[in-house]
Amino acid sequence: MTSTAEMYPEKRLIASYHTRTGYTRRKITNVGMLIITGILTFLALVPLVWIIGYVIYKGGQYISLDFFTQMPKPLGMEGGGVLHAIEGTVILTLLGGIISIPPAILAAIYAAYHPNTILGIAVRFGTDVLSGVPSIVVGLFGYALVVKTQGHYSALAGGIALAIIMFPTIVRTTEEMIKLTPHTLREGSLALGAPEWKTTLSVTLVAASNGIVTGILLGLARASGETAPLLFTALGNENYEIGKIISSGVANRTGIMAILTRIFEQPVDSLPLTLWKYAQQPYPERINQSWAAALILMILILTLNIATRLWMQRRMSRLQGR
Amino acid sequence: MQRNLTSTRSQRIFQYGDRPWNTGVVAAASLVPILMLMIGWMLWRDSAQARLVYGWDFITPTLNASWNPVTDVFQAWPFIYGTLLTSITALALSMPVSLGVAIFLAELCPRWLYQPLSWMVELLAAIPSVIFGLWGIFVFLPEVVTPVGNALFAVFGNIPGLGKFFEGPIPVSGSSRLAASLILAIMITPTIAAVTRDVFVAIPRTQREASLALGATQWETIWQVLFPYGLSGILGAVILGLGRALGETMAVTMVIGNSIEGSFSLLRPGYTMSSLIANEFAEATGILHSQALIEIGLILFAMTLLLNIIARYLVWRVAKRNVQEARA
Amino acid sequence: MDMFLDMFMWHHQNKKTQNNFPSLIDYSVVETASNEVKKSNNLPFLVTRAQEDVSVSLPSENFYKASIRDFSLYYGKFKALSNISMDILSNKITAIIGPSGCGKSTLLRSLNRMNDLVPNTHTEGEVLLDGTNIYTPGVDIVGVRRRVGMVFQRPNPFPKTIYDNIAYGPRLYGLRRRSLLDEIVEQSLQQAALWEEVKDKLNQSGMALSGGQQQRLCIARALAVQPEVILMDEPASALDPVATLKIEELMQTLKTDYTIVIVTHNMQQAARVSDYTAFMMIDSPQTRTGILVEYEATSQVFTNPKNKQTEDYVTGRFG
Repeated sequence: MTSTAEMYPEKRLIASYHTRTGYTRRKITNVGMLIITGILTFLALVPLVWIIGYVIYKGGQYISLDFFTQMPKPLGMEGGGVLHAIEGTVILTLLGGIISIPPAILAAIYAAYHPNTILGIAVRFGTDVLSGVPSIVVGLFGYALVVKTQGHYSALAGGIALAIIMFPTIVRTTEEMIKLTPHTLREGSLALGAPEWKTTLSVTLVAASNGIVTGILLGLARASGETAPLLFTALGNENYEIGKIISSGVANRTGIMAILTRIFEQPVDSLPLTLWKYAQQPYPERINQSWAAALILMILILTLNIATRLWMQRRMSRLQGR
Repeated sequence: MQRNLTSTRSQRIFQYGDRPWNTGVVAAASLVPILMLMIGWMLWRDSAQARLVYGWDFITPTLNASWNPVTDVFQAWPFIYGTLLTSITALALSMPVSLGVAIFLAELCPRWLYQPLSWMVELLAAIPSVIFGLWGIFVFLPEVVTPVGNALFAVFGNIPGLGKFFEGPIPVSGSSRLAASLILAIMITPTIAAVTRDVFVAIPRTQREASLALGATQWETIWQVLFPYGLSGILGAVILGLGRALGETMAVTMVIGNSIEGSFSLLRPGYTMSSLIANEFAEATGILHSQALIEIGLILFAMTLLLNIIARYLVWRVAKRNVQEARA
Repeated sequence: MDMFLDMFMWHHQNKKTQNNFPSLIDYSVVETASNEVKKSNNLPFLVTRAQEDVSVSLPSENFYKASIRDFSLYYGKFKALSNISMDILSNKITAIIGPSGCGKSTLLRSLNRMNDLVPNTHTEGEVLLDGTNIYTPGVDIVGVRRRVGMVFQRPNPFPKTIYDNIAYGPRLYGLRRRSLLDEIVEQSLQQAALWEEVKDKLNQSGMALSGGQQQRLCIARALAVQPEVILMDEPASALDPVATLKIEELMQTLKTDYTIVIVTHNMQQAARVSDYTAFMMIDSPQTRTGILVEYEATSQVFTNPKNKQTEDYVTGRFG
């Protein structure tokens, strides 16, 4: 065994390398790089503040009650609103939610309880990959699946496209939430003789319901801001007015199914779609309206995002507190 | 006694409901892979004629490509080039920033600042693409892109070779591949930063302690221990960001200028695969025209699918390794 | 030997007056108290040694390598350590034992300021390393950590090759010459009794080794920066008995060159390997503040403890 004294009879070698200048240089590098990461973080957040601030500034100037309650005026005319787009956004997002929520929750249940089967892995991997599929490709798929088969653009096609967009978000959040519910809860119910479906519905999903709602809201928020999947599915329709459809349906006594069919079978506009079209038109009035639409859209999406996150954090800290 | 032997209809459902329930669960789970296959298959099916007519010429690099709905001659190379150029430029710009953000969040920032900053980064990812585009057209392009483009042209424009990428002048409006790259860089930064941050957070504390106990500074620890440790996960994050950049549509469509000119330059207007589809598909009347667009969608799908599979695999591997270490 | 114990007692008795003494005066007092300690006259000092390019003679035997003076540590409002005072002898193995949660590891980690990593930590009192307080503002923490190495509870090699694991420290200090690095890697591995097992696979990942080998790799990694003190935080708790024995044997050979402080929850281990033993406890279940109960030669602690609580603990009647 060689001792250090034999190794380096004169001095401790490393100590001689650890010089004042060397240390100062390392310390400066350290502090310098740490400051740079802070600056980069600041830099990354500049666009966020800039965009939100500018949209509020511009959109705030042009927003008015008419904007929410009026249909669009013909090109070049002053005034008018985007009622059709607001209604369309609601219809499309709800339709997407109705289509995607049930299968998404079922798929999440499967993935949470069978994490190691081939199908379980396929679900988790598949949802991850699905969330990376470009939204324009989802639009093409919606076109091929619905529009081509039906022969016309429709709200239904748009809803299906949005359903695919929100599907991965809901599956992943729900799966995480189910995994977080204590196993004993489920086993307790099964031990009492309750069948699996009833246990899952009345115990597991109820225990995880807050998290699942959060996932659904985040999914809806994401879908409500999408444009590309709607370009050739919902297409856009400046004459879409639910009030008119319903009142004419009632007047003609056509029945609820017929009214619903008319609502879902027509092409429809949405806020992001309208925003996109208006922003490219040479009329200042339309551009101003697109800023206002951007403001509504941003408030809608950021509120949903912030509210769900705050809610989640409160629940999490309460859970940890116990 | 009798009641137990002859169960009512509702009791039977109660007891034997498990079979339909399980069938439903498995069916819903199968929907995920089926959906993926269906997307691929439908794009494949609906581009059959275009693939037959144009073959490999469709995607081979060429200098003066044609995209002509009148003569039905379509070549996709300019759009593939535009997509690759803008995405890779965006990635190069975004990578250092995202890494800085991730390091700052995971390793440096005070605890009370972690949540708010993380949220802000994630909110940036939640802003709809069209709003980025709108802000881009009216604010970002005239105020940032045009001056930056002019400066780049002045500095690099006349260098042989490299100058080809900085051929100017940039349009006054700022609409150019550079604009698309910059907007994409802003848009993919939250994705890369958030995943990288999670990779850093997942690295065991003992790795940091071991390095600091040897007398390393914090930066040396981050750069020489944590970074190599999480490298494959960080690579996954970067590829994930690249995948997002390739597929991003609306913001790019609004700022790239949408022009089919045979220029290599970052400073000139261009087209990407997704913006071409967004602009032309609804109005494509010729069968070959719409099929060619769907084929471009197919290429885009294949590219992003491949990147996503690689990225997810890399990120998963890091997560799995950490689980194993925690058990050991 | 007894003389040193007397000195400990002396320190304890004079805690209050000593606390504010500059280190030099402190040592001169010690010198008058004992002739033996005169050897330590030319003590190397932290500042000159760590920051200047000077040759340094190896530490002589039998002097206080580190002295903890009236040391208290707080995590936020929680007081984790209260008024600890003890001296750690050079080239000896000092064991810290006590029930879990009594602050053993916290005390150990105070010796190279690893507790700095926990937010909201603050300290009172001093930890003197060769007479210089390492908690003085503006002290070279990197230098402190180079001189006071650490081995952790679980083996934590970097996901690098065996060679790079060991060369990591020396490279940090600017040593780049391959021949020197080769030499350091070999010597460190030899000192850690790992050379024979790994000399043919230096380019393999350190994570591919067995648990016991990984821990010796971590010891070699700590040795490579040529520290003076090695802190070991339950180094064998994750290892099997054979690997544990190897580590314990290794400690005995290392003590000729290094001062070793080890935290262990295994009393037999403390009795086997250490020369001095400190017994710590919490003062009360409510406050859970760690205090030093007894600090004596190991043989004394285990055969004839002065304190009733120590006796209860070492005979297994407690916790």
